[in-house]
Amino acid sequence: MAGATLPLTLGRARTEQLASAAYFLRRNPRMIIGGLIVLLWVFVALFAPFVAPYDPKAVKVDEALQPPNPQHWFGTDDLGRDMLSRVIWGARISLSVGLISVSIGLLVGTSLGLAAGYLGGKFDLFIMRGIDALLAFPALILAIGITSALGPQIQNAMIAIGIVAIPGYARLTRGQVLAVRAREFIVAARTIGAPPLRIVMRHVFPNVMNALIVQATLSTAFAILAEAALSFLGLGTQPPDPSWGQDINYSQRYLPNLKWWMSVAPGLAIFSAVFAFNFLGDALRDALDPRLRRSG
Amino acid sequence: MIRYILRRLVLMIPVALLVTVGVFALARISPVDPVLVFAGEERDPAMLEAIRHQLGLDQPLPVQYVAWLSHALQGDLGRSFQNKQRVTEAISERLPATFELGLAALVISVTLALVIGILSAVKRNSVVDLLSTSITLMGVSFPSFFLGVVLILLFAYVIPGRIFPPGGFVPITTDVGENLRRLVLPAITLATGSLALNLRQVRSSLLEVFGHEYMRTARAKGLRESAVIIRHALKNALIPVVTLIGIQIGAIIEGAVITETIFSWPGVGRLAVQAIPSHDYPVVQGVVLVSALSFMLSTLLVDVLYAWLDPRISYESVTA
Repeated sequence: MAGATLPLTLGRARTEQLASAAYFLRRNPRMIIGGLIVLLWVFVALFAPFVAPYDPKAVKVDEALQPPNPQHWFGTDDLGRDMLSRVIWGARISLSVGLISVSIGLLVGTSLGLAAGYLGGKFDLFIMRGIDALLAFPALILAIGITSALGPQIQNAMIAIGIVAIPGYARLTRGQVLAVRAREFIVAARTIGAPPLRIVMRHVFPNVMNALIVQATLSTAFAILAEAALSFLGLGTQPPDPSWGQDINYSQRYLPNLKWWMSVAPGLAIFSAVFAFNFLGDALRDALDPRLRRSG
Repeated sequence: MIRYILRRLVLMIPVALLVTVGVFALARISPVDPVLVFAGEERDPAMLEAIRHQLGLDQPLPVQYVAWLSHALQGDLGRSFQNKQRVTEAISERLPATFELGLAALVISVTLALVIGILSAVKRNSVVDLLSTSITLMGVSFPSFFLGVVLILLFAYVIPGRIFPPGGFVPITTDVGENLRRLVLPAITLATGSLALNLRQVRSSLLEVFGHEYMRTARAKGLRESAVIIRHALKNALIPVVTLIGIQIGAIIEGAVITETIFSWPGVGRLAVQAIPSHDYPVVQGVVLVSALSFMLSTLLVDVLYAWLDPRISYESVTA
C-alpha cells in the first residue's frame, strides 16, 4: 500500500513544482526575456560552425563592402568577409571570455572570501587589505594594466578580467559568511567537532550560493563588455580572429564612407548580450532575495 | 570628525602601499625586457648593460621597488621609453583635457539624472518614468565605444552640415566655440554610462524618501508640493547621489580611456592607450598609479562628505 502511494505522492509533488515554476516565470517576464536571449547566444556560440553561413575569415575581394542583402544579412567588410558570420563566431569569443573570467573570479574570490570570513583574525585582515588594494584600481584601468603587461592576447584578457572580478566575489562571500557564522546550525556543527573545511563546504557555502549565482550572472555582463572594450583598444582578440569589440574598432575607418553595417552588427550583438545578462541578473536577484520577493 | 579623517587616512596607507606594489609589479611581470624597449634600435651588449645598470634594473626586485617608490613619492615616475619625456610632465600636460571632458560629462549626466529622476519618481508609471527606466536599462548595457561610433556616424557624416566634427581637440584658450563644438560628442558618450547609474539612484532614493513619515507631515502642514519635494525629499534623497557622483569624479580617467581613443582627445587615457603597443611601461604605470590614487582619494572624500552630510552616521562605528 505504502509502496503504491509513494510514486503517486512524488508525481503530485513534481506537478506542483512545475506549476509553481510556471507561475513564477509568468510573474517574472524579465527572467524569461533575459534567459531566452542568453540561451540564444549560448546556442549560437556553441553551434557557430553550423549556424554561420560563411567562414568568418574567408576573404572575398569581389564582395567587399556590400550593404545588408539576402546573401549577406549583415553586409560584408572591406575584405568581403561576411559580417553575420563574424558576429556569430564573435559570440564564441565573448561568451568564452565571460565563462572563463567569471570562473577565475568565482573560484579565487569565493575561496578567499570563505577563508577570510570563517577563519577571521589576521588572515581576514591580510586578505581583505589585498582585496581593498584591488578595489582601489578602477576596473577597466586594472584590466588594461594587466593585459598590457602580459601582452595583448585573448587569454591574457581573460586573466585580467578574472582578476578584476575577484574582489566582488570575495567581499560578497565574506559578508555572507560573517552573517551565517554565528547562526545556531554552524555553532552546533562546530560543537560536535566537525572540521572547519567540512563546515564551510557543507553548511556555509550553500547559504552563499544564491548571492553568488546573481553575482556571476551580472559579472558575465561586465566580462563581455570588458572583453569588447579591451579588444576595441587592441588588447584582446587579435586580427583576423572575429571579435565584436575589435570589429567595431576596425569599422571606424569606414565611417566617412557611411559603411554603417560594419559597426552596427557587432555593436548590437554586444548590447543584446550584455543587456540579457544584466536583465537576467536583476531578475534573479529579485527572485532569490527573500526580502525583495516578499515586498514584490 | 578630524579623528575620523585621520583614522581613515592611516587605514589608507597599507592599501596605498599594496597598490604601489601592484603597479610596480605590472612592469615586472611583462615578458618583454624593458631595456630592449628603452634602447630602441640599439643592440650593443655593452650599451644594453649600461642602460640596465643606469635604470637600476640589475638590482634585486625589492631594491628596485624601494627606489621606484621613493622616486614616485617625490613626484618622479620615470621617463617615457618612447620620447624620453618625464612621465609626470606627460600626465600633467594631458590632465586638463581629461578634466574638461570628465567635467562636461558629469554636468550632462547629473543635470539629466536630476531632471528625469525627479519627474519619474513624482509621476510614477508615466511616460517620463518609462523613459527613465529605458535609459537606465540601455545605459548600463550600451558599450560606450559603440555609442561614440554611432554619434560620429550620425552627426559628422549622415546629417548634412557636419554639426559636430568626428574628433580632435582645440584648446579652450585658442578658440572657445570650436573647443565646445568638439567637446559635445565625447561628453555625451562619456556621460551615458554614469547617467544610467545616477538616474537609477535619484529615482530609487526619492521613492524611498517619499514613503517616510516626515513627508506626510510636510504635506499635512499644507506645504506646496514643490517645497515638499525640494526642501524635504531632495535634501535627504541626494545624499547617496552625492556619494555616487564623488566616486565618478575619481574614476574620470577610467571612463576617459575609451572615449578619448574614439574621439582622438589628447587626454591621460589616450596617453596610456598609445603607450601600450610600444611597451612604454613607465607611462602605463604612471597612468594606472595616478588613476588608482585619485580613485582612492575620491572614495575617502566621499566617505567624509557622507558622514558630514548625514549626522546619523557614527564616526566611531566606521573602522575600515
